[in-house]
Amino acid sequence: MMEGALVPLLLAGIPLLGAASSVLVWSRPEHLKNWSVIFSVASLAAAIGWSGYLATPPEGLLLVYLLPVAACASLLGQPVHQNHRPSWMLTLVFLGLGLGILTSQNLLGQIGQMLLLILTAVLLYRHHTPLWPISWLGIGAYGLAAMCVAVSIVAGPPPLSSVMSLLACAILLPLVPFHEGYITALTRLPGSLPSFIVLLFPSIGLHGLASGMQTVPDSVAWTVTLLALAGTLYGAGKALAQSRARLLLSFGSLSLYSMLWWVAAMTHATPPRATIFVGAIGLITSGLLLAWQVIRTRYGDDVDPQSISGLAATMPRYAVLLSLLALAAMGLPPFGLFAGFMGLLLASAVPFSLSILIMVTAWLAASWYIMGMVQQWLFGAKRHDLRYTDLLHSELAALMILVAVLLALGMMPATFFGPDAMATATGAFTGLFAWNK
Amino acid sequence: MSAVLLVPLLPLLTALIVVAGPDNTRYQRAKIAAWPIGAAFCGAIVTLYVVATQGPITIRFYDPSSLASIGFPIGFHIDRLSAVMMVLISAVGTIIYTYSVGYMYQDQHESRYLALIGFTTFVLLCMVSSSNLMMLFIFWQLLSYLLYVLAHNHAHAATLEGAFRTFTLLRVGDVAFLSGIVLAHSLYGTLEYQALFARAAGTSIVLSPLPGIEISGPTAVTLLLFIGGMSKSAQFPIHVWLPRSLYAPTPVHALLHAGIINAGGFLINRLAPLFGLSSTTLHVAFVVGTMTAILGASMMLAQNDIKKTLGFSTIGQMGYMIMECGLGAFSLAVFHLIAHGLFKATVFLNCGNVIHKARQEPHFPHVDHQEEEGSFSRLTWSTGFVTTLFIPLLILLVTHGVLHIPLLESQGTVIFLFFIWITSSQAILTLTRLRAVASWKVSAAMLLTLLFIVFVYLFAVESFTAFLYPDPQEVASYFKAAALANWLFDLIILLATVLTIASWSYLYMRAHGRTVWMPAWIEGLRIRLYVLFMNRLFADEIYQTLGRIVTRLLDRFDKSAQGWSR
Repeated sequence: MMEGALVPLLLAGIPLLGAASSVLVWSRPEHLKNWSVIFSVASLAAAIGWSGYLATPPEGLLLVYLLPVAACASLLGQPVHQNHRPSWMLTLVFLGLGLGILTSQNLLGQIGQMLLLILTAVLLYRHHTPLWPISWLGIGAYGLAAMCVAVSIVAGPPPLSSVMSLLACAILLPLVPFHEGYITALTRLPGSLPSFIVLLFPSIGLHGLASGMQTVPDSVAWTVTLLALAGTLYGAGKALAQSRARLLLSFGSLSLYSMLWWVAAMTHATPPRATIFVGAIGLITSGLLLAWQVIRTRYGDDVDPQSISGLAATMPRYAVLLSLLALAAMGLPPFGLFAGFMGLLLASAVPFSLSILIMVTAWLAASWYIMGMVQQWLFGAKRHDLRYTDLLHSELAALMILVAVLLALGMMPATFFGPDAMATATGAFTGLFAWNK
Repeated sequence: MSAVLLVPLLPLLTALIVVAGPDNTRYQRAKIAAWPIGAAFCGAIVTLYVVATQGPITIRFYDPSSLASIGFPIGFHIDRLSAVMMVLISAVGTIIYTYSVGYMYQDQHESRYLALIGFTTFVLLCMVSSSNLMMLFIFWQLLSYLLYVLAHNHAHAATLEGAFRTFTLLRVGDVAFLSGIVLAHSLYGTLEYQALFARAAGTSIVLSPLPGIEISGPTAVTLLLFIGGMSKSAQFPIHVWLPRSLYAPTPVHALLHAGIINAGGFLINRLAPLFGLSSTTLHVAFVVGTMTAILGASMMLAQNDIKKTLGFSTIGQMGYMIMECGLGAFSLAVFHLIAHGLFKATVFLNCGNVIHKARQEPHFPHVDHQEEEGSFSRLTWSTGFVTTLFIPLLILLVTHGVLHIPLLESQGTVIFLFFIWITSSQAILTLTRLRAVASWKVSAAMLLTLLFIVFVYLFAVESFTAFLYPDPQEVASYFKAAALANWLFDLIILLATVLTIASWSYLYMRAHGRTVWMPAWIEGLRIRLYVLFMNRLFADEIYQTLGRIVTRLLDRFDKSAQGWSR
């Protein structure tokens, strides 16, 4: 019989072993990429196989399954190039740490979280380009998060420990004004890392939120409510003003994640279907980042998104998959974001108020900035000076995996994904109407 | 009973047949794919018969008690309204698809358009047969996206811009719709139609969104849902997307104007018991519908492009339909949308032929330079007078005196009679403009027209209303909820009558070469209004300016927050 405490270590160990053994094929990038993909698939198989031995965290096990999927897709979506080798290896390291954090119930998880944050800060210090200069605010944010985790370990009982833990969550699951680290990581980190951490960090943040939100004082929760509302509008407004794809996607996802913060702060609990919501946002942003990577692979890292047009006629497979991802990103059914968003609005015990109208307006804004971006790339006149090459097999596989998982998240009954998703049929006539006289 | 699911699924099969397969069999597949969608039409007729004789069909693939925990609650509730709509949609879908196979032959985007027509028909059928508000909303949103995809041509900048605006405006409506759903669920704890209607009717909830402002639960919910309906049915002021979708292929227009745009009217009818609880929403619908009908028709008259003319005609008709809903005449609105759908589909499909002929033959369509008959015909005039004024008066007296229907207390009856009068008189006025006005045949045609319209309306009033809403008390309750203050109702009827008669007199005299004296200020106003309506009230420019202001503000905000955010 397998010991329950050992399983998280084993789960974390598989990708870490893959990362450590990658030196064996380091000189051959194609083999290294395949090697990394194999270990991420093995992690998924192990997570599914050993799920019975894992203690179910408050947010359920869905994210434990989604992390290897996102890692696998992120790896598959990268072109084979020796410059990408460190990012592939680091993707496995991040995956190992992430699985360990999500499945551990003790100090080990918090130490893993600190390691992850410090590693991210170091990576941000090392990786910057003239296009994306160094961001001390971003590096500082992850340093602060690591410090908060350390304080929460030694602080003892709430409220200090819970507030510190919440602050670390606010950096991982981005909340204005602590979102700088998230934006910086998505724009600066190399290769496959941005498309993976866009799910990893918010998942860890949600994990902390699920256990920490109940013990947070009312005044802090009230402040979080205001910050979340501001973040929803701020993210949507910033996304509407962006022309660069990574910034647009970063701010867009910030706006959506802020909605989750608002509901969590209002209810002092993780809302039903929060995992589907977080998972869907993470996978959608990951998919769109990979779609942008496809363009960068063909036209260079510093390509201007405004100069790309007419891909629908020349890259039909890419056009179809990008359109499906865009539909998902705009919150249209039958994808996971729609299901998650409906879960937040309908299944949470949050009364109808003007705040909900603000959230719905931010949701509407996603239709504008995502549609604007996708329309720019796919439609318009075909440029004769551009060479059009449709998706390679690995790129196609990466995007198809993400679209299929997003469809599954949207169409499967919520109960399929775990106990947290058991929606409470919200009480009509239970006196929770803020407006009711 | 589950065989009824084939009706929405068969058009989906059509789309799949068109899409899947090698390019060299494209035309053959397109022709084969017409069979499933045709079979869907036959299935819809059978469904209508079954529903009419055996009652509604309900199939659910979810547990209604935990609707909120299901992202995609698939269920079908097919009652008489749904069945009628299914017949209309599948009939129009079949005709348009069959037409498109020839129309789009060898077009670069043939497969895409044909598949989208099949898929749109599938979405529309699912929408009208949905068993809960959530499923209706899911397909409602898909329709927004499909309209965007259908309305654009990949490489044409103006089309893309129009399609983008179409989508964004429709999403504004979707957001209001979603807010309505969330509020309904928050207040009543369900999105299942029957349970929702029962709880809304059985619970008295008053909301106070702002100090001093009180609004009932059903009013708040229906107002939000109505905004959603306004966007799809192109109601003023969110009508601008419809004329902007002009570049789509003609069959797509036929589908849009005959099927998709009716969504608003269908929504109100689907939720009639909920709308019937809110007089305020019905009055708002009446005002919005009336404004849209007047402005849409006025803008139609001032356009110089055939597709724009038809587009604004549709806007006017949709306004008319929403106005009927606002008056509580829900069944009349459904009758109207069916008649308008069939008419507009015919016109648009013929429009394509005219364009093709015009391309082949530069002198087509032929301009008829013959002047209209200038002489005054006593026979025609007398027949027109008798049919437009005397016979309606007779009907009024018979209704009031013989049938003992208290007209002064029944706005619903007056509304029906008024519509009979205005429609028949409009048709008769058109007949008087024929060149052979002095013929006895025209007079006979006038009488026949009047009889035809009266019988059609009687059918609409009696048979169709009884078919859709078998309970007369329910129909009466809608009229009662929509009833305006008596003085206001009388004023509106009086004003409409005076305006109509004055307009007819003016047009009749102008058509027969008579000089009509007008004060100078009216002539000046007429020219100013003409310019205003020709430019579509400058609504496009206003929206563009608003968009530019928002973009500029966002850019300024982005620049000011750049140091912080980077």
